[in-house]
Amino acid sequence: MATTTAAVTLTSDLLSDNMSVSASTTCMKAGTTADGLDMMDYRYLDIASGTNWDLSNADNSLNKNKANKVYIANHSTDETYYVIITIDATVVGRLYAGDWMFIPWGAEDATADIEIQGATGTNTICYALFHEGQTLHAGGDTV
Amino acid sequence: MATTIASITINSTDLLTDELSLSTSTTLTAAGISTGLVGSGGLGRKKLASGHAQYVLFDGDAYTNGAHKIYLKNTSTTASEYFTIEINSEQMGKLYAGDWAFFPWEANADTNDIKIDPSADDMVLEYMILIDE
Repeated sequence: MATTTAAVTLTSDLLSDNMSVSASTTCMKAGTTADGLDMMDYRYLDIASGTNWDLSNADNSLNKNKANKVYIANHSTDETYYVIITIDATVVGRLYAGDWMFIPWGAEDATADIEIQGATGTNTICYALFHEGQTLHAGGDTV
Repeated sequence: MATTIASITINSTDLLTDELSLSTSTTLTAAGISTGLVGSGGLGRKKLASGHAQYVLFDGDAYTNGAHKIYLKNTSTTASEYFTIEINSEQMGKLYAGDWAFFPWEANADTNDIKIDPSADDMVLEYMILIDE
C-alpha cells in the first residue's frame, strides 16, 4: 500500500505560555488501517481576481463518501491577496497569501465541488488531492 | 504582536515513483494585513456521545467575519470511527481515526456554524480556533 503522511505543527506565543501542537496522520482509505490512499492529483496554477473555478469536481466520477484529503496553499506574497474556498456554494474561508489548508473531503454528492474564487490579485495556488480512485470519462475523439 | 506559525509536511516514498515531499509554513495573520492573530479559543478536548449528533462546535453567530483558523483532530484509534464535519449544513468530509484538519473559517454568516457528527459513542475530538478579532 502507499504510505502518505501528513503532519502539522502549530506554535505560538499568543498565550502567556508557549503553545505547541503537533499531529501526524497516515492518509488511509476510509475505515481501514490496512490500505493507504493511493491516487493523487496535483496542480499548480494562477487564479485571477474575479474568476471562479472548480478546483475539485465531485461529479468527476470520484468515489463518493471516502476519506479523500485536500491540500491547498496560496503561494502569493502580497498580504492583501486571497482566494475564497467554497464547497457546494458554502463559504469555508479565505485563504490569504501564504496560508494553507488540509481537509478531508467526502465529495458526498455530485454538487459538492470545491471551488476557488480569486478575490484580489492573481494568486498562485498549489493544490493536491489524495483519493481512492476515480473513473475517467471516456474521450470523444477517435484518431 | 503574537506570532503563530502553522506548518505542514506531506511525505510519501511510495505513492509516486519519485519521492513526494510537500512542505509549507505560514505565520497566521489577520485578514489582509501582516498583524498576527491575537485571539484563541485554546486547545480543547471534547467527548461526544451519540446524542451529540450535529453538535455545534463553533457558532457562526459568535464570531465576526475574519481570517479565523480551525484545527481539528479525531483521537480515536478505531479505524472505522469518524467525525462528519459540516459548515452551514454542507458536508466537508469525514475525519477518520487519527486524522486532523486545518483550514480557514470565515464565519461570513450567522448560519455558517461548524458542526461535527460522531459516528459512534464516546468519541473524542481535539479542537482549536485561532481568532481574527
